[in-house]
Amino acid sequence: MGDITLTINDAPVTGQDGMTILEVARENGVDIPTMCYLKELSPIGACRLCVVEVEGSRNLVGSCHTPITEGMVIQTHSPRVVTARRMVVELMMANHPDNCLVCDAANQCELRQVAADLDVGLPSFKLKKHYYPIEDISPYLVRDLGKCILCQRCIRACDEIAKQKVFNLAYRGFDCKVIVDLDQPVDKEVCRDCDVCVSVCPTVALRKPKKQGEEKKGPPLILSQ
Amino acid sequence: MGKIRTADELDSLRQSIIEKLDPNKTCVRICMTGCRAYGAEEIRDAFDEEIKRKGLEDKVEIRETGCHGFCARAPVVVIDPQDIFYQQITADDVVDIVDKTLIEGDIVDRLVYVDPVTGGKIPFAHDVPFYKEQTKNVLRNCGIIDPTNISHYIARDGYAALSKVLTNMTPEQVIEAVERSGLRGRGGAGFPTGRKWRLARAAAGDTKYLVCNGDEGDPGAFMDRAVLEGDPHSVLEGMLIAAYAIGTKVGYVYVRAEYPIAVEHIKIAISQAEEVGLLGKNILGSKLSFEIRIKEGAGAFVCGEETALLMSIEGKRGMPRPRPPFPSESGLWGKPTNNNNVETYANITSIILNGADWYSRIGTETSKGTKIFALAGKTNNTGLVEVPIGIPVRKAIFDIGGGIPDGRKFKAVQMGGPSGGCVPEAHLDLPIDYGSLEAIGSIMGSGGMIVMDETTCAVDIARYFLSFTQSESCGKCTPCRFGSKVMLDTLTRITQGQGVEGDLELLESLAQQIKDTSLCQLGSTCPNPVLSTIKYFRDEYEAHIKEKRCPAAVCDALCSYYILPDKCQGCMICLRACPSEAIEGGKRMVHIINQGKCIKCGTCLSVCPARFSAVAKVSGEHVPTLEEPIPVSTVTKGG
Amino acid sequence: MAGKVESQELDLTKLDKILSRYEGQDDALISVLQGVQAEFGWVPQGAIEHIADAFQISPGEVYGVLTFYEQFYLTPRGRNTIRVCRGTACHVRGTNANLRTVERTLGIKEGGTTNDFKFSLETVACLGTCFLAPVMMVNRNYYGKLTPDKVETILKQYD
Ligand SMILES: Cc1cc2nc3c(=O)[nH]c(=O)nc-3n(C[C@H](O)[C@H](O)[C@H](O)COP(=O)(O)O)c2cc1C
Ligand code: SF4
Ligand code: SF4
Ligand code: SF4
Ligand code: SF4
Ligand code: FES
Ligand code: FES
Ligand code: FES
Repeated sequence: MGDITLTINDAPVTGQDGMTILEVARENGVDIPTMCYLKELSPIGACRLCVVEVEGSRNLVGSCHTPITEGMVIQTHSPRVVTARRMVVELMMANHPDNCLVCDAANQCELRQVAADLDVGLPSFKLKKHYYPIEDISPYLVRDLGKCILCQRCIRACDEIAKQKVFNLAYRGFDCKVIVDLDQPVDKEVCRDCDVCVSVCPTVALRKPKKQGEEKKGPPLILSQ
Repeated sequence: MGKIRTADELDSLRQSIIEKLDPNKTCVRICMTGCRAYGAEEIRDAFDEEIKRKGLEDKVEIRETGCHGFCARAPVVVIDPQDIFYQQITADDVVDIVDKTLIEGDIVDRLVYVDPVTGGKIPFAHDVPFYKEQTKNVLRNCGIIDPTNISHYIARDGYAALSKVLTNMTPEQVIEAVERSGLRGRGGAGFPTGRKWRLARAAAGDTKYLVCNGDEGDPGAFMDRAVLEGDPHSVLEGMLIAAYAIGTKVGYVYVRAEYPIAVEHIKIAISQAEEVGLLGKNILGSKLSFEIRIKEGAGAFVCGEETALLMSIEGKRGMPRPRPPFPSESGLWGKPTNNNNVETYANITSIILNGADWYSRIGTETSKGTKIFALAGKTNNTGLVEVPIGIPVRKAIFDIGGGIPDGRKFKAVQMGGPSGGCVPEAHLDLPIDYGSLEAIGSIMGSGGMIVMDETTCAVDIARYFLSFTQSESCGKCTPCRFGSKVMLDTLTRITQGQGVEGDLELLESLAQQIKDTSLCQLGSTCPNPVLSTIKYFRDEYEAHIKEKRCPAAVCDALCSYYILPDKCQGCMICLRACPSEAIEGGKRMVHIINQGKCIKCGTCLSVCPARFSAVAKVSGEHVPTLEEPIPVSTVTKGG
Repeated sequence: MAGKVESQELDLTKLDKILSRYEGQDDALISVLQGVQAEFGWVPQGAIEHIADAFQISPGEVYGVLTFYEQFYLTPRGRNTIRVCRGTACHVRGTNANLRTVERTLGIKEGGTTNDFKFSLETVACLGTCFLAPVMMVNRNYYGKLTPDKVETILKQYD
């Protein structure tokens, strides 16, 4: 019961009432890139990487949070969708620090991975970057917010999984920032050593204090268009 | 006033209020809302004092009302029963008004409105073209009644629609009437109101909420403010009817922070309605119980977006969330919630009292009823106008708005504020309705109409709107948080003369993607002003980028100020005012501006007396300068 | 020194009075902060922690709300608040020249406060009096149809 039929990339598929487009797509082997979405966390639709084209809808829709409906006709990789996704990634990269090029976390960085997948190289426009001092006084956690893409995974993971609410979003718009307390650097008082946030961060905005000799190379950043 | 327990009691109360009213009594109606900004309070005090001095307290009523609409003429007063209209008056005029008009019944000539077209004097409000061309439905009480006095509202059929609904209609019939009326939401998106109510009524659960969106963030729109200030009970009554139709017990009115008078008046209205039992338990003896709470905004445009609004009512950061689920399924605290705009609720009573058929005869095939527009910018008659949907843009701007001041040329009108687009001259005959405007890249929006003339720069205005939306972006989603910034930076560069080949293409492509991907409509509509100005004024963009010239002479970096030798009278006013000591001259000497020192502040232009008009702002022209000041008498004066 | 606002001592009785107005309403965080802003002219750090306790949420969450809305200030404000309208109607009628005049005359930028705490300068998106454009407000007084030279005269009237 509750079966819903729809079309993804011209193929008929079925899903259950309450499932999102993303869930049905993945079940059927269609890969839609995501960034702010994590199966374990409540979806917020923030990064817009997962957008798809739904017939009859004026704009693209976020697949990670949009429930399926009967008869939906969806394109997940049309030129329109891919162009839009590339812009989303290009915007994130444009705001990212220059040292991204030599970042030792490149191999685990989801942003770099997505950029490589979508063939996004150096941004074609300029965007101001955020310079935040590295917060490394806590024995549990290092934050390098210059590399934060505001996916809010850490906020939700800490709240929903670790039940702690150490992080909050503060400020607005371009100045949005994930904060601790009244925008103070994380120290050992505020946080226990559970690693949940570190494990969900798609970049290295959150990481464990570095141990020696762990540097690897990741997927190349495409330098030419 | 005691409790009103039944519909009959309401009727007889209304009767007794009307009987006590003397239609021939002299009444001075003073706009005490927006006009306060121009001294309405001093005028009222002067009236009070003068009337006491002349011993007229029993013969004359001084009534503080809401906005009369013709705000360009602020402060305004109207004197009943003759309907004499005085405009731009000061406290000093009051003695004359009392002596000549209130006592002798004559008209004070100098305070009468002069038709700018014919030059004729128009002493009566109902003859003024600005008012004549309007159809006042929602604004029927605005400027007429004292909004802080519930008796005034009741006397004009106030709460009669509620009483009709509670005694003669089922909730289903109410929804049907609203559906058949064709009313569409006035908050911008134009969603059919009846259908929205039906969804909320059908939603599962006993606890439901009602919300009235009075955030009115579109800079340049002030109709919701006028309704909340000038006729707050009409909003409450609309909400009560919705509460009955949908089945809710609690409602919220969310009012924008910058509207203190609106907050004050709606609070007074709520406590008066509570006092007489029109809010509270078992209203008019029916099963309807309803209470209304006020929430004041704290300064965030995005909170007008309904999901953000709900977050803000809950006391949180006003960040939008994905829809579905729509508020009608899951709104405040996860409960079904119906949200409508102030003006939408204020339309309801007329639909109930006059019938859905009456309502649907006003307007066009797809857009019914009247709409209030806020005329502002470069038009003579700035103010609020209520007209049937579907009148041509031209009529609103030229017949009602009185055209463009200073003999300048119309350029375009921005409809729908920062989410909308402009209507250029070529489309002036377009009917103002949802579909027609959308077809040309503009929108109806909340009803702001900002008129622009030839001295408005298309690139600058696009940059302006984007700087607004960019600074109001909540920051949640990538395209709006970052994309709007890239667009703004690009536009800023162009207005500063640093535009490069390819900028237009970059703007267009970013605009398209941002529209397509943003989470809420703040982001997805913010490129509209840019796209529509590029569409209609591409040559202006190109002049900025390629020739480093601002055709409208607005963008400072591309402009220079200079003093016309044949006009300058050597009065030294500009020389003294210039903050940068960039002006050289002397008494009766033709002044000159040292371009190297000039910081392009525009002070000289604004202070040079209009009868001389000797300072010019130019762009892309060679600026001729004299070597040094020369006596005024040596220059041949041009015409 | 005149106008100097001490940031250390916080009158908790005043704060508790504001909190008690909204007792038991868990949706009242913004209203309470508005009360604090109105009472103190800004929202001192001590108040944030106290309010967070009262609502049983983290100070960070209160801080998140505070920094989202333009109405709240985390530093003391001047005795007089100037609000220059940057709405559309005011923009097309030349509000920028007025804003620049205020900034130049007072030597502060938008959002700033003069060293003597005489003025704070804000810009707003439409004061709802577009027919007076360009408009500026000082405290609760409106000044319409402004020009840069009028601005200077107006500022001199305040103390
Ligand atoms: C950024 C943004 C700002 C908005 N501001 C307002 C507003 O100030 N007032 C309003 O009624 N609707 C506003 N809306 C529209 C609301 O989301 C919603 O559609 C409307 O309140 C529904 O009421 P209606 O159906 O009566 O029009 C805004 C939407 C967006 C995206
Ligand atoms: S710190 Fe990491 S997990 Fe947290 S919002 Fe930033 S990128 Fe996302
Ligand atoms: S479009 Fe803009 S305002 Fe809307 S959710 Fe995204 S960032 Fe926030
Ligand atoms: S624009 Fe300003 S700086 Fe330049 S000459 Fe005029 S008053 Fe002086
Ligand atoms: S104010 Fe005008 S007329 Fe007077 S000196 Fe300056 S430019 Fe000449
Ligand atoms: S993954 Fe869907 S919006 Fe981020
Ligand atoms: S505000 Fe007074 S007439 Fe509009
Ligand atoms: S735009 Fe300035 S008051 Fe409305």
